[in-house]
Amino acid sequence: MSTVQTPVGSGEETQVTSPLRRVLGLVGNQQFILLLVLVAVMIYFDFHNSRFFSVSEFQNLIVDLSAAALVAVAELFVIVSGGIDLSVGSTIAVSGVVGAQAIVHLQSRHFGELPSLLVGTLVCAGVGALVGAVNAVLITKANLVPFVATLVTLSAGAGLALFFSQGAQIGYDPVAATWSSTGFWIFTWQALIVLVIVGVLGLVLHFTSYGRYNYAIGSNPFAARAAGINVNRHVASVYVMSGMLAGLTGMFFYIRIGGGAPQTGIGTELEAIAAVVIGGASLVGGVGLISGTVLGVAILTVVTDGLVFINVSTYWNQVVVAAFIAVAAILQTVSPGTRKR
Amino acid sequence: MAPEKEPILELRNISKSYGSVRALSDVSFKAYAGEVIGLVGDNGAGKSSLIKTISGVHSPDAGEIFVDGVQRHWKSPHDSMAAGIETLYQDSGLAPDLTIGSNIFLGREVKRKGPLGRLGFLDQRTMERRALVELDKVGITVPPSKRTVSQLSGGQRQAVAIGRAVMWAKHVIILDEPTNHLGARQSQEVLKVIRAAREQGICVLFISHTLPHVLEVTDRIIVLRLGRVVRDSLTTEYTVESLLGTITGLNT
Repeated sequence: MSTVQTPVGSGEETQVTSPLRRVLGLVGNQQFILLLVLVAVMIYFDFHNSRFFSVSEFQNLIVDLSAAALVAVAELFVIVSGGIDLSVGSTIAVSGVVGAQAIVHLQSRHFGELPSLLVGTLVCAGVGALVGAVNAVLITKANLVPFVATLVTLSAGAGLALFFSQGAQIGYDPVAATWSSTGFWIFTWQALIVLVIVGVLGLVLHFTSYGRYNYAIGSNPFAARAAGINVNRHVASVYVMSGMLAGLTGMFFYIRIGGGAPQTGIGTELEAIAAVVIGGASLVGGVGLISGTVLGVAILTVVTDGLVFINVSTYWNQVVVAAFIAVAAILQTVSPGTRKR
Repeated sequence: MAPEKEPILELRNISKSYGSVRALSDVSFKAYAGEVIGLVGDNGAGKSSLIKTISGVHSPDAGEIFVDGVQRHWKSPHDSMAAGIETLYQDSGLAPDLTIGSNIFLGREVKRKGPLGRLGFLDQRTMERRALVELDKVGITVPPSKRTVSQLSGGQRQAVAIGRAVMWAKHVIILDEPTNHLGARQSQEVLKVIRAAREQGICVLFISHTLPHVLEVTDRIIVLRLGRVVRDSLTTEYTVESLLGTITGLNT
């Protein structure tokens, strides 16, 4: 957020910057502010209840964080490309239910726990990709705006989850449920998978041509098309990926609950969008960093978990989250780096 | 400009209709390397249809296009780009949230060497460096890297957009109203870039309503009216009044 007044001939960026300037630059850095907020919130909770900084609580945090991170990162890809995906929550529900049915079927035929879960994972990801493909067709072929297209699949997905499950939890899998807390130190195996996926997606978004096209399309789709980028194909792939990641999250919830329930994940899309906004991305597209979104998810998770931890009524949860979104959004509008087209 | 030279771009009897509306009738002209040609006409004269035909957005109903002596048929804008024709439309321009280097190389990214490059990883440093060098060649000085296009002034943005077209065009660049919405000084920056492109031996088709700019920078002016070429003469043979008269049809 340094001042930009005389662009021509100011070669200072290539010069070695003084330590003081570097510190000031950090303070102006949105990511750094988010990190400060995260640490401050954690210290606040620990101050109220000294057991907040503990392995068991961090395990809980990591479990919740990894459940929310994939859809948030998927939402970031979609939002940077200039769209929005409202259907991720319903996709979690419907893929979890269908995946659970597949697992129940396999286990009734005496498949082992691990093979049936692996097949279940593929089914979940497949169902998610299918929802994403429907979004892609509605957006690129039927020319619906992403908000409306994904509103359609949000509703359809939630309804299908209820239909496929007849409103009840599918399967009872206590073995899988014990796996949700096993792993290495505070990292469950699920968290490690999420870490790898988010890491790879971060590299893709920031260092590859696919990521570059994502920003270009969100920034100016006409320019992207004129530059020879296949805009429709790219946009379609982003929604399919978003659906797949939501499907994978559906599997995570199956393992956590030990079954597939139709109300699981409903409403997650709003948390994901909130995390992306808090992370500094622009809802009109073209702007946003994966580190910001990860920090946004972390802040939201710590706040919601922490409020429970210090015995604040859960009814306050959403109000506090709302305050974080509002402050983040207002900070964005006043920061000088935001674009005006 | 020498007439015995082979034209870099030649249109022969191009016609195009939209339903019952005849947008272009028998449009023919030759354009040579290192020549700036003004393409002027009133609204509805066929300027847009003509540049869309040359750049491959749509194909003509009749007529032939030759680039560097070879007859061409475009299926998409991609084909014309591959043949060395770059078009800068009014509404396309640049992606404001990307850096200058990223914009210059948009759609033509430089990949890293080795296996990472095959996975699509970008060589951002090379792109930023080469962008500055290439822009400098056409007389555009821009701040070094890391800055997004949204942080540039309107004139600088347009200069970068034209610089991008010049850098990639082998033969022809088509500029649709490049000085629109720009102040006097910013327009001069753009005209400077057009002259630099001419120095590099590129043929520039300059479409504009701003007649003083057209008279200032072009070598030759083609006037379109109701889809036909009504005059094709050296710029020195026009005055503002005669040009205006030809466009409106008061004198022919």
